[in-house]
Amino acid sequence: MGLQLPKRAPAPVRRLTAGALVGALLLLLSACGDAVDKGQWSRLAMPEPATEQAPYTLELWRWAWLAAMVTGVIVWGLIFWVVVRFRRRSDDEIPVQTRYNLPLEIFYTVAPIMMVIVFFYWTVNVQNKLVALDPDPDVTIEVVGQQWQWTFNHGVGPASGSPTPDTVAEEYRYDDYVFIVGDAANRPTLMLPVDKTVQFNLHSPDVIHDFGVDAFLMKMDAIPGRVNTFQVKPTVIGDYAGKCFELCGVDHSRMLFDVKVVSQADYDAHLADLAERGNESALPLLGGAGARTQAGLGENDDQEGSQE
Amino acid sequence: MTATATPGTTTTTTAPGGKTLGQQFVRIMTTTDHKLIGQLYLATSFGWFMIGGLMAMLIRSELAFPGNQVVNDDLYNQLFTMHGTIMLLLFATPLFFGFANVIMPLQIGAPDVAFPRLNMFSYWLFLFGGLIAASGFLTRGGAASFGWFAYTPLSDAVRSPGVGGDLWIMGLWMAGLGTILGAVNFITTIICMRAPGMTMFRMPIFVWNTLITSLLVLIAFPILAGALLMLEADRQLGAHVFDPSHGGPILWQHLFWFFGHPEVYIIALPFFGIVSEILPVFSRKPLFGYVGLVGATLGIAILSVAVWAHHMFVTGAVDLPFFSGMTFLIAVPTGVKFFNWIGTMWGGSLSFDTPMLWAVGFLTTFLFGGLTGVILASPPLDFHVSDSYFVVAHFHYVVFGTVVFAMFAGFYFWWPKMTGRMLDERLGKLHFWLLFVGFHTTFLVQHWLGVEGMPRRYADYLPEDGFTTLNQVSTIGAFLLGASTLPFLYNVFVSRKAPLVGVDDPWGWGRSLEWATSCPPPRHNFVTIPRIRSESPAFDLHHPEIAMLELDENDAERRGQFADAPDVEGRQETLAARIAGDLVDGDPDSHADRAREQGDTEGDVR
Repeated sequence: MGLQLPKRAPAPVRRLTAGALVGALLLLLSACGDAVDKGQWSRLAMPEPATEQAPYTLELWRWAWLAAMVTGVIVWGLIFWVVVRFRRRSDDEIPVQTRYNLPLEIFYTVAPIMMVIVFFYWTVNVQNKLVALDPDPDVTIEVVGQQWQWTFNHGVGPASGSPTPDTVAEEYRYDDYVFIVGDAANRPTLMLPVDKTVQFNLHSPDVIHDFGVDAFLMKMDAIPGRVNTFQVKPTVIGDYAGKCFELCGVDHSRMLFDVKVVSQADYDAHLADLAERGNESALPLLGGAGARTQAGLGENDDQEGSQE
Repeated sequence: MTATATPGTTTTTTAPGGKTLGQQFVRIMTTTDHKLIGQLYLATSFGWFMIGGLMAMLIRSELAFPGNQVVNDDLYNQLFTMHGTIMLLLFATPLFFGFANVIMPLQIGAPDVAFPRLNMFSYWLFLFGGLIAASGFLTRGGAASFGWFAYTPLSDAVRSPGVGGDLWIMGLWMAGLGTILGAVNFITTIICMRAPGMTMFRMPIFVWNTLITSLLVLIAFPILAGALLMLEADRQLGAHVFDPSHGGPILWQHLFWFFGHPEVYIIALPFFGIVSEILPVFSRKPLFGYVGLVGATLGIAILSVAVWAHHMFVTGAVDLPFFSGMTFLIAVPTGVKFFNWIGTMWGGSLSFDTPMLWAVGFLTTFLFGGLTGVILASPPLDFHVSDSYFVVAHFHYVVFGTVVFAMFAGFYFWWPKMTGRMLDERLGKLHFWLLFVGFHTTFLVQHWLGVEGMPRRYADYLPEDGFTTLNQVSTIGAFLLGASTLPFLYNVFVSRKAPLVGVDDPWGWGRSLEWATSCPPPRHNFVTIPRIRSESPAFDLHHPEIAMLELDENDAERRGQFADAPDVEGRQETLAARIAGDLVDGDPDSHADRAREQGDTEGDVR
């Protein structure tokens, strides 16, 4: 039936709309053309994975998108088919008044359940690989995010004890540490030895930050009062970008760091260089006691209730 | 049998008299009319929508180039914090209260909501709460800048000392109280004030979704209110509820997201309801799978309180398989809804008047948001894209795709019911296409940016990051999207002079009860109410022959056997009486019978 109005917009409006559509499409294509290299298309925008764990994520990413797009194309296809096929052709049409179709309804309820069960299986499978912790990693690094800088504490000398520290008892895996600190003006470099299992222990003395390295396809929060842990095994020598991914205040977007994956010899040289510059400490630098306290009111705040 | 396809022409006239500004003001200040209160909600939330939209355009301008050009980092943080706050809590949530207030009592045949004065009080709480939350911009330290989910300790008194944070907390608390009271009102109205014959399984889907949404409000908003007060106690009274020494930061996230995820469905379900009302009218078919759709809505609501920690996968503090599995399951009832909507259109006679155009725009847009949602629910994939622009793109597809598309669908659909006048179709179509192209240009490329590694909430990025071009595409899209509001505003402006529709159902195939009273309805909504024997009482009244066809074609429904159909007991007899020309409701004073006797049941308004 519709209303008392013309069925179609006048030609100028139609031309304008078509022009806008074509323009937007061209812009999109050209944008993707120069911002993106060829390999990135095949990885569906993912950075090239650089750890032993990351290819699993990439693989899951590809299959997940394949499943999503098959589903999407079917449903979009149904929508467009319906829109074209069943558009009104004359004003007095009265279609068949179908209300239900139980077998069909059961099918479209059960089929998605099957799909998510399969996706769930592979999700858990990959996730277990990403969060698995080797009890004896080759390198343990105490990472500190704080407003708005990063500190990387590398252990030197023999390792002993648990790779995950007990910050209350001040028990750490190494007896000596070398560290590197840097903010936006002086971006710190996190150096990692290639083909070695590295454990990151994430600390924050102030607010929540998030430690993420693009090519590792992995990130985790650094939360005050809590030590988060994950492991990677970098497999490709190269330079990568690290960023803070959790809003942490005014300079959140400037909390950047560089990551270099290097040979064991270069890694050892880097640690020796840090020691030579005097960046040595018996305990890792974790940003102070702020990690376990919260200021209350006034100057005479006694931190009641916040003692360990 | 001659089936007519003419619009119902029965009408009860209410002449809108010219009122002075002062009279209008007094009317607004003293009203308890759910329709006027609903329109106040709609107008106020649309005002917030435009303010939030202007903030988004500032944000997009800043991101068009690396470096700082438009705003500094601190103001940038305030802008995205208030953009998120406004869009979710001062636009989308009260928009639900607007539509539900205007439409729901009409659809169940009630004269008003259960507590009319409480209704107006809820509106004032929302209005002043919102003004308080946003008034931080007028203070020296600026508005809240800790993000709309206010993670502690960033939002504590040490890291965010400004009064803007306190205004944000207490303003939202106040607005949230209005939300809770409004939900109580809706639940009571739907349970207690349905017209005779309006059984639960004859309620329109929009009413069902209003009921279920209100229940979710009662689950989620008290948690937010409590958490906000605790945060304020930490800030002002030196409490240590969210102290990191005992896991405060994670506690806040649990409390916030236990509110925050149901909130997503609080702003989605009513808009699914709007679309479910529109598709049958412009497809000339009853809704496909009525009971299944109600069940799917309930399923989504139930699951929505068991998935909150999927916002916390990267905290390392939650059970990944549980929350990922529950989140995957939400895809199932959501998929059922999609198939019900497609099933409604399937085999129909589809006309693309503006409400339908927006509804189909919703289907195509929201689908993509749903697909990326399933991807995000997989923790290993979330580890890479969490807190990146992929997430930003995802939730704009979901929330904008649902709320904004369905809002405009609802505006164009119910505008004659609210004002007595149509909006212009041609401007409506221009509006739709500008918005549709603008939206997808803005947000589609943001998926790519996020996977490449651009974090969300970044005021700035480096030229060597390679994010520049895609950000510029997004910014251009944002301005197109912003500009799309202009034809709508012009449309509203010119429609004030449009001719009165003069009929109960200007669309011709309206099904639910609001189409059986005048446009706009009288003060207490109905002069008389037609006999309600199905979920489509207005349709049964205006087109009994076609309703009879429906019963003929759906045998199990007619026989009352097991079928995915609403409660139609007694419908066949009522329809038969109407077709036979007997008094429609057996009462010479009833609306339908009087109109028939006046001889104006037939006629062409075109």
